[in-house]
Amino acid sequence: MLEVKQLSVSFGAVRALNGVSLVVPRGEVTAVIGANGAGKSTLMRTLAGLVKPESGTAELDGVQVTGRTAEDIVRSGMALVPEGRSTIPELTVEENLHLGGLWRPSAERKATSAEIYDMFPVLAERRRMRSDTLSGGERQQLAIGRALMCDPTCLLLDEPSLGLAPLIVTQILQLVSQLAREKDLAVLLVEQNAVTALRVATTGVIMNLGNVVRVGSAEEIAADDELRDAYLGS
Amino acid sequence: MMPTWLRDSRLLLHAPLFIAIWLLLSRLNVMVEPLMSYYLALAAMYATAMFGMVILVGLSGQVSLGNGALMAVGGYVFAVTSLNWQTVPLLGFQWNAVWSVIFAGFGGVVAGLIIGLLAARLRGPYLAGLTLGIAVGLPSIAARFPGILGGSQGLMLTVPYPDGGYAADVAGTAAAESDSAALDLALAGADPVPADAASGSSDMLTPSDVTGSGAPGDMLTADDVTGAGASPSAEPVPVPSASSISATPSGTVTDAGFVLEQWQASVSIAVACIAGFVALNLVRGRQGRVWKAVRDDPIAAALAGISPAASKVSAFVVSSLFAALAGAVFAQILTYVGPGAYGVALSLSLLVGVVLGGRGSLVGAVIGAVLLVGMPVVVSNLAGERGWSDQITNNLPTFLYGLLLVVVVLVAPGGVMGLLASGWRRLTTRR
Amino acid sequence: MTTFIDYLLGGFSSGAVIALFALALVLVWRSTRIVNFAQVGQAMFTTFIAFEVQQATGSWFLALLAGLVAGAVLGLIVYALVLRPVQRLDTSGSIIATFGVLISLQALAAMIWGGDPHSFPTPVANEGLEIGGRIWPISWYDVLVYAVTAVLVVALTLLFTRTNLGLSMRASAFNPEVAKLSGIRVNRMLAFGWALAGVVGAVAGVLIAPTASLSPNSFDILLIFAFTAAVVGGLDSLIGAVAFGIGTGLVLALVTGYGEAGDAPIIVLILLAVTLVVRPGGAFGRGKSRAV
Repeated sequence: MLEVKQLSVSFGAVRALNGVSLVVPRGEVTAVIGANGAGKSTLMRTLAGLVKPESGTAELDGVQVTGRTAEDIVRSGMALVPEGRSTIPELTVEENLHLGGLWRPSAERKATSAEIYDMFPVLAERRRMRSDTLSGGERQQLAIGRALMCDPTCLLLDEPSLGLAPLIVTQILQLVSQLAREKDLAVLLVEQNAVTALRVATTGVIMNLGNVVRVGSAEEIAADDELRDAYLGS
Repeated sequence: MMPTWLRDSRLLLHAPLFIAIWLLLSRLNVMVEPLMSYYLALAAMYATAMFGMVILVGLSGQVSLGNGALMAVGGYVFAVTSLNWQTVPLLGFQWNAVWSVIFAGFGGVVAGLIIGLLAARLRGPYLAGLTLGIAVGLPSIAARFPGILGGSQGLMLTVPYPDGGYAADVAGTAAAESDSAALDLALAGADPVPADAASGSSDMLTPSDVTGSGAPGDMLTADDVTGAGASPSAEPVPVPSASSISATPSGTVTDAGFVLEQWQASVSIAVACIAGFVALNLVRGRQGRVWKAVRDDPIAAALAGISPAASKVSAFVVSSLFAALAGAVFAQILTYVGPGAYGVALSLSLLVGVVLGGRGSLVGAVIGAVLLVGMPVVVSNLAGERGWSDQITNNLPTFLYGLLLVVVVLVAPGGVMGLLASGWRRLTTRR
Repeated sequence: MTTFIDYLLGGFSSGAVIALFALALVLVWRSTRIVNFAQVGQAMFTTFIAFEVQQATGSWFLALLAGLVAGAVLGLIVYALVLRPVQRLDTSGSIIATFGVLISLQALAAMIWGGDPHSFPTPVANEGLEIGGRIWPISWYDVLVYAVTAVLVVALTLLFTRTNLGLSMRASAFNPEVAKLSGIRVNRMLAFGWALAGVVGAVAGVLIAPTASLSPNSFDILLIFAFTAAVVGGLDSLIGAVAFGIGTGLVLALVTGYGEAGDAPIIVLILLAVTLVVRPGGAFGRGKSRAV
């Protein structure tokens, strides 16, 4: 379980996160939705250790992660799949995948990678090819696969649907919720595409201008037209 | 470029400023002892070259290590034209030093255009590498043409009179007596020199240099000075200012009332003032904004209708013009041009000066120039007190330059001027 | 024809050393996207340290070892003290900083060891071998130079393509953020790249010292040659650096052999200028060579 308490982040004079608190239970998907500039990506980058918080804490299964380096946070079991194409084009598919768990003993690493190849057969077929030969959806699979290589207990997904065809988005998000259930992962999903995200999530969190404005069950939020009009602009 | 430059220039504001500076420095020049005039000449020469570096490195964001080579272009054009031409081609006027300087500037513009066209396409490290290559490769070019360029030994120049003419034989004999000349000057009473200052300056003359400048008679061709001219280039040149100090006789009197150093300084000061005036108008005018715009965001600048390539090339041409003018002045100061004098060390010291002073500031360039000239003097004075060996004394300034370069980039990227500006801001905001 | 072959054979040896320097530049570029203009300065300095060890112990191999260690340490120091803080600044800053390091190292060496050239001994004979009744311009020492270069190139290639460490280094160079998010200690990898470059440069310095003689400025021209080779090779490619390093050595040997020795820098400069004009990002900049 990931527990975020009163997390605040500022960039100079701009407050990007203003005392954000939320809980991400294991075994389900929690979707953070909100318009551009709501602070969703900042939240993810702060949790992953790429941005230093001004105040507040985040605890993963009771262990504090804020204040540690990004490398350490990954090694303690929380992996971020960053926004956009986060695979390294110069490396092969297999190299990209293995990156995610290089520090682990090679036997464990091989077991995990075999599991991931089972999950994403396309990657197994193309393991020797450069990753820039993959399609957008395949690359997103590779990025998720790399995050899984560290055998995480918590997975942070930043806009996985960005630039992908609707059919592929549905596939990937369904896979994410399946992962959460089967591997008992705490999944925090950030999406601009609220409708799709809420379809796979158990809980919905709405953010606006650095604040959490509403937390509720996914169905409840999806059904609330007023909320949609006020904060999601769609 | 010319019409916009004219429209934007604040002639009324800047011209009196530079005339005042020129008058002040000229007055200073005749008041101080010859050694001081010599330092003044060097500092003004460095400042001229570094005005160009401010535009190139600071405003246009192109790190060049080849400006020493561009100075060489100016120096060699100055030397070759003044040694070989008696009249101005086509125009038929009597040749003099002013013409040589003008032609040197012209040569600089051409060289700057060539290198600029090459460099405008290049990003940071590639440009630095190419210009470094030019600085390193330059001596080979001089060596390739031993006849006209004097080969690796360089060319000795004769000392011009104040009216701009040349008097070869007088200079030769007078220079041979340079050691006693400083004393003569002191005795003449026109400009009293403290005894230790006079001996201090003659200490910096290596024996070979005295014989070098004292080579008898007509020094117009390279062949005549093979023996003498070998000394400057044979020596390793760790710091150009150090080498130039040792290469120039001090307190030379060629005629009643004419002090070589004063003459050299007056030329150097005049050129620096003109260059500074032009540079200030460019920096503060439209062109300055164009350079900065391209440096900060070439794509946005291109979308605003500015050609990034043209902007980069023009920065190179202007900086090359200034470098060539400085190179011509340097040739006058050394009374010599040779590959050793315009080596990589010179290029690097220009970079040092402009970074220390403050990359984007013309005043910073002047501060940098003073530092470049002052540091070896301070170090050699210290060395005299502390009894350091020559090995330490000769290399310590360079070591400090390198260290300062790193420290400035790390803690004060704006150089001295940046520190002053932030200090001023802190003072004014607290009140 | 025999002279042509002689020139070529002579060029191989200096080409191998240029290749090593180019390799060092490439290693630094790959790890931190910086051209380390101080590289030959570092190599000069560590070669002086190796020289001191040689003088004290009489052993060339101990000297080489000392050079290697000093190279790694100096590389780390330069990275940690100078370049790591500077990377936050603009490109100009990092270029200027490396020149600052170069200038101060050269001046420091001149202050400690003086400006006069020192002669560095060779562990094996440096006279031309006699095979088939004629003397060839190859000595046992040249053979050693080829062997060391080849071993280094193979070892580095294996390191980068076959080991986790190499993969971590490549990932850190290509995309530091993704590498961090994968749990790779990126700063350590970048520092390791600098140390590795320092070692390769140190080897090159010790190998070239007997032929070039050792003085604070004696490697300056090699910086230009190595930079040219690295740029023509694309700055990213180990193979490119080695190939064009040796190529540069051959060109130099032919120019020196048939023309005048003084023309060599001009020819190399023209080579560099033409390459940069045709491909401003280096001859083999992006593309397949980057993956090697």
